[in-house]
Amino acid sequence: MNALTQTTTSQPLIRVSGLEKQYRQHMAVRGIDLTIRQGEIYGLIGPDGAGKSSLMKVIAGVLSYEAGAVEVFGITVDSEPAAERIKHRLGFLPQGLGLNLYPELSVEENVDFFARLRLVPERDLADRKARLLAITRLDRFRDRPMKHLSGGMKQKLGLICTLIHEPELAILDEPTTGVDPVSRRDFWAILTELVQERRMTALVSTAYMDEASRFHRLSLLSNGRILASGTPSEVQALVPGSAVTFQAAPQLEALARLRKTFTQVEAMGPLIHVFTEETERAAAKQRIADGLGDITAGEVRVDDPDLEDVFVALLLRQGRLKDAGDVLPPSSARLNRDGLAIEAKGLVRDFRSFRAVDRVSFQVKQGEIFGLLGANGAGKTTVIKMLTGILPPTGGEGRVAGADMRKAGGVIKERIGYMSQAFSLYLDLTVVENIRLFAGIYGLDKEETRTRLEWIIRMAGLAGYESDLAGRLPMGVRQRLALGCALVHRPRVLFLDEPTSGVDPLGRRHFWDILSRLARDEGVAILITTHYMSEAEHCDRLALMYAGRVVTEGSPGDMKRHVEQEAGHLFEVIADQPAKAVLELRRAGFAGAALYGTRVHMFCRDPVRDKECACQALASSGVTIQSVTARPLSLEDVFVYKVMALEDQERASVSGDSV
Amino acid sequence: MTSAPGPGSQRAAIWWRRLAVMTRKEMLQLFRDVPIVAFLVYSFTLAVFITGNGIRSQLHNASLLVHDADHSVSSRELIHRFQAPFFRLEGEIADPQEGLRWLDRGKAMVFLEIPPRFHEQLMTGEPTAVQLLVDTTNSPQGLSAAGYAAQIVERFGQETVQANVGSSEESSQNLPIIVSDHRVWYNQDQNDTWFESISHLLRQITIFAILLPAAALVREKERGTVEQLLVSPLTPFQIMISKVLAMTVVILCATAVSLFGIMQPVFGVPIKGSIVLFFSLTALFVFTTAGMGLAAATLTRNQAQVGMMTLLVVAPMLLLSGLTTPMEVMPAWVRHLMALSPLRYYVEITHGILLKGAGSSTLWDSVLAMALLGGALFGFGMWRFRRQFE
Amino acid sequence: MNLRRIATVASKEWRETVRDRMFFLLAFLLPILWMLVFGYGLVLDVENIPFAVVDRDRSALSRDYLYRFFESRYFSFQGYLQSEDEADAALQTGKIRAAIIVPEKFEERLLAGQPVGIQTLIDGTFPLRTDITKMYVIAINSAFSEERVIDHVSRRSGIARAQAEARVRPIRLEVRYLYNEEVRSTWSMVPAMLMFTLMVSSPLLTALGIVREKETGSIYNIYSSTVTKFEFLAGKLFPYVLISSVNAVVLWVMATLWFGVPFKGNLPFFLAASLVFVLSSTGIGLLVSLMVRTQIAALLITLIVAMVPTILYSGLIVPVSSLSPGSQIQAHLFPGMYYTNIVRGAFLKGVGFEVLWVDVLALAAYAAALRIVGYRFFTKRPRS
Repeated sequence: MNALTQTTTSQPLIRVSGLEKQYRQHMAVRGIDLTIRQGEIYGLIGPDGAGKSSLMKVIAGVLSYEAGAVEVFGITVDSEPAAERIKHRLGFLPQGLGLNLYPELSVEENVDFFARLRLVPERDLADRKARLLAITRLDRFRDRPMKHLSGGMKQKLGLICTLIHEPELAILDEPTTGVDPVSRRDFWAILTELVQERRMTALVSTAYMDEASRFHRLSLLSNGRILASGTPSEVQALVPGSAVTFQAAPQLEALARLRKTFTQVEAMGPLIHVFTEETERAAAKQRIADGLGDITAGEVRVDDPDLEDVFVALLLRQGRLKDAGDVLPPSSARLNRDGLAIEAKGLVRDFRSFRAVDRVSFQVKQGEIFGLLGANGAGKTTVIKMLTGILPPTGGEGRVAGADMRKAGGVIKERIGYMSQAFSLYLDLTVVENIRLFAGIYGLDKEETRTRLEWIIRMAGLAGYESDLAGRLPMGVRQRLALGCALVHRPRVLFLDEPTSGVDPLGRRHFWDILSRLARDEGVAILITTHYMSEAEHCDRLALMYAGRVVTEGSPGDMKRHVEQEAGHLFEVIADQPAKAVLELRRAGFAGAALYGTRVHMFCRDPVRDKECACQALASSGVTIQSVTARPLSLEDVFVYKVMALEDQERASVSGDSV
Repeated sequence: MTSAPGPGSQRAAIWWRRLAVMTRKEMLQLFRDVPIVAFLVYSFTLAVFITGNGIRSQLHNASLLVHDADHSVSSRELIHRFQAPFFRLEGEIADPQEGLRWLDRGKAMVFLEIPPRFHEQLMTGEPTAVQLLVDTTNSPQGLSAAGYAAQIVERFGQETVQANVGSSEESSQNLPIIVSDHRVWYNQDQNDTWFESISHLLRQITIFAILLPAAALVREKERGTVEQLLVSPLTPFQIMISKVLAMTVVILCATAVSLFGIMQPVFGVPIKGSIVLFFSLTALFVFTTAGMGLAAATLTRNQAQVGMMTLLVVAPMLLLSGLTTPMEVMPAWVRHLMALSPLRYYVEITHGILLKGAGSSTLWDSVLAMALLGGALFGFGMWRFRRQFE
Repeated sequence: MNLRRIATVASKEWRETVRDRMFFLLAFLLPILWMLVFGYGLVLDVENIPFAVVDRDRSALSRDYLYRFFESRYFSFQGYLQSEDEADAALQTGKIRAAIIVPEKFEERLLAGQPVGIQTLIDGTFPLRTDITKMYVIAINSAFSEERVIDHVSRRSGIARAQAEARVRPIRLEVRYLYNEEVRSTWSMVPAMLMFTLMVSSPLLTALGIVREKETGSIYNIYSSTVTKFEFLAGKLFPYVLISSVNAVVLWVMATLWFGVPFKGNLPFFLAASLVFVLSSTGIGLLVSLMVRTQIAALLITLIVAMVPTILYSGLIVPVSSLSPGSQIQAHLFPGMYYTNIVRGAFLKGVGFEVLWVDVLALAAYAAALRIVGYRFFTKRPRS
């Protein structure tokens, strides 16, 4: 720890200049310059395949490179012996859901392994382990083998394992991908604390743009180069504009008209979200009205653009990305929308003594997008596996298109598409070979195969990757390929288990465009799980699962109304010490207070009185408030509120039992 | 289900297309793995050549150590008769006590001691004896060495007697002896390369056929790709048989290369029977053996397990199916156990077709046994596979 | 080098191996099962060769002659045949491996003091069997001839049988079988199975263990940590060396107690030499694991580079001296041969380090060389 005190803040911890990395014929990094200072949380964002992972591996000293210079802790990392000299001071979490963990070992044994490998003294190990497992709420699962954890839990465990030796530098490659919103808060809590307390430096990549506001500084990468660098507000300032949200009917027509004028138009359930470079609110509204023509918009809301809007705008400006556009060919046959597509009737699944799914029932009609939400380990994947016939239910029944999938014949199976959570295509086949394989499996003839292949390549933005092995693709591109393969045969019923995990914002928008159209135009029924709450807004109906049960069900609007009735109106607080602010607010009785990026969200039953009360509480504890504004409720607020409430309940009942 | 063209035949066409794409996928995956391809090529070409050339299973060059206390014409002559191919004179020692040390060190396998007065006794018609110490740590080889030595000594004795006693005229013509006249069939020149190269080819086919489809199936389970397949309209039969088909195609090609590229031109291995029959039955053998691997794969959860499981089975198959020792010398229970080894039948079939020119009329029982075994193994695999997921 | 890190890697590896119940069970069960199957089943003494007879003479003397074949444990009589054609057919189906054809006037000629040619048809597909069949036939023929000749000579010359015998057979060959006095196949095969089992199973265990880590991606933990290459490899190999060493002891116990093979040598020496051997065979697994990326490839290549040469070039069945010069070089390149010398030497000959030091040294060099190569090629900072 002496080295830590000697290093001054101004001194760069990482210095990268002119870095180039090549894999065979493929150029992954083409000339990157980067400086990271001590105590920073430095973010890397960018589309899939931008070179983020390669850059991080090079800095971690686990990948050699062709040209340029990389200096970490003042040591030039240019050979294996040199790389060895930096490794005792850093921690590296590679991409992928817990792929670096040991499935047969328990949670605790995994942590112990990493700690002992780093020669952490046993007493420190016990303390840190207890603390980290508690914050990540994994302490209950200490003895569970890692292979029985859900994706998000694995990711949290991976993080603990990477940080257990309290490295001076943590290199985390998409640590929150596949992690539910509540757990992501846990993650950021740990990271922020370590950075503050131990003056740790972190280099983090993410696909969640809302997390980007947590970075001290960030770089936007694209195609192996840096497009923009700076603090979040500096980067945001590069593309001035406004985000406009409103309701308009008929939606499809409105979208089509707006796309002629605006580059970023997105349907969010009943709402339409448009980014305009107009900064004046009134002018922005006017431009939307112009674009809509004779369609009248409902209540129009104008906000500052999100980083996500900025990110997309920057990429579009680079001309690297084409507009989502009309890539979906008109469907050949309109499908019959009558009848239930998916039906879960009292599904139960036990794994030994553990009940993973407890009497889950719901129905999905043709043409409906049904979102299954829930924290990691809530049982979503198990439900999907039972419905698709991969896993036999312990009790209850799952039906697809009126048939039990476990007994269904080829004809029924041809109608469904499935994309599993873990990437499950063939890593040793190329993109085109994978698509052709699934086309063949679903019995497409030559002509159909050719047209569908072209469509998938365009739809999933796979051009340029055609003859790359799936195993070599960046995670986001892999996910898009998997979705393409699930759609190859124009299924009538789609099961998508976290299809957008790790996919960049543009890819995700694009993806939802397609899903919306499949549902609206072709009447495809879609059952989807996601941890991006902004995506859940696209769903027609949602079910929230907690501990194997469905706790609420309804449209996104219903859910929001329900929470509003229960908890009150939402206010956003911008303060100088957000983490402390949350604690103070909770202490003052605002149980629903939670951190969103660097902002605090809280619920007030009585907007006037409660707001006053909150402001007083904060001021008395020395937190300076910059602003408190009313916000419309987002699904993320709903999710965080619900899950935290349920967890509190559970904790209360557990402690009640023990008394 | 109707015989008329229409939906039925279209479904059949789709069924076959599915099988074809799956088979193609297996081949692609196989050929993507560079080390596997490298070893596939090596195993069916160079390794066959090296083994065919280098291995002789019968006694050959047994190292001989001699202590000659007589140093006479006769003793010289006797020593001289211990020669290639069975024996190779390693050295002579003056002190007979030294002999045991050589044997201890493994520097000699056989130690021949010729007593003093050997020549004299022989000439005078006095009975004499030579002593032979044989290292039997490798018992069959030791027995063979003793057997050949006995023949050499006996013949030397008889010839010496006939020459000296003067009964040369009447020698063999006028004695009631049995003249051994051997005719070795199917391999007149006793060409070791034929047997050894065929054996090696069979060993390689077995290893590839049992291991690769099994590991490929377990890998699908491990990686979760099998879920994707189960949700699709593929039947478990298509999923499993495509692995066998891919392996069959690869092995038939490799066998052809081995047979027509090395064994026939280089070693002159004859192909007396029907080549079509040989390749058809090779395909059947691959099916049966792969069925065994797939059955093992359905009993295991990861590649390490399936590796150990196939290893457990494959070593007895290779050593006890009639490639290392003849089937008929084995204990009865081993022969019964080996009824479960498809290789046992395939050895019979290969030797039958290639060397003996046998046809289906003589081989039908082996073929039937192998087909039944293959059907049973594959059926068991299918049953297990279904049970695991359904 | 830090022992705690080695211990950490080793204990992780050990736990993973133990948790995989079936794998763990197989790792111990496989040697035991092999030992049982091969110990009883791998019989190399060629006996019970199925044969048939075409007896054209059907005389008392021909029966007397053939009786020697019927009685011999080397042959197993399958029946009389009528003609040579029938013998051909039976040979082709593999029902018999040899046919003895006794000509007409067999008795008549022999009694008249004339030689008789006996034709033997032998299946040549299996050279080992062919050779041995030939040898046994010749042995029976000459024994029979000798008696006829002794008879003949004593009758014609009017001398005593003993005298005639001395004239006909002037030299006696006194054979002494050393080390395995009763020439039991089990005694020579069971110790060699120790070599075979360890030679094949330990590289497989090792290769799978390392490649599994590569294939899943957890190897990045190692790359990005301070564990040195040496510590990693040492820790990683430890469980497999341990399992193999335990197996060596179990197999030794089975060989001596169950199969009753005498162990004449020095046990501490033997165990130490076995450890050196295990170190070199696990080294092969290490080498394979560096060449490949997938477990399938690791499995296949280990089988090809460990099992096949072990069957062929280790002295298990064919003594190395019988191989062609090229193959002898190959035999020296695999550790199996040296250990075969050690097991057979220690079990049956009772020799120790004073004789086997060359083999132990070769194994040690082998183990060291493989580890140096492994160490060189293993990189914590790969190109992709």
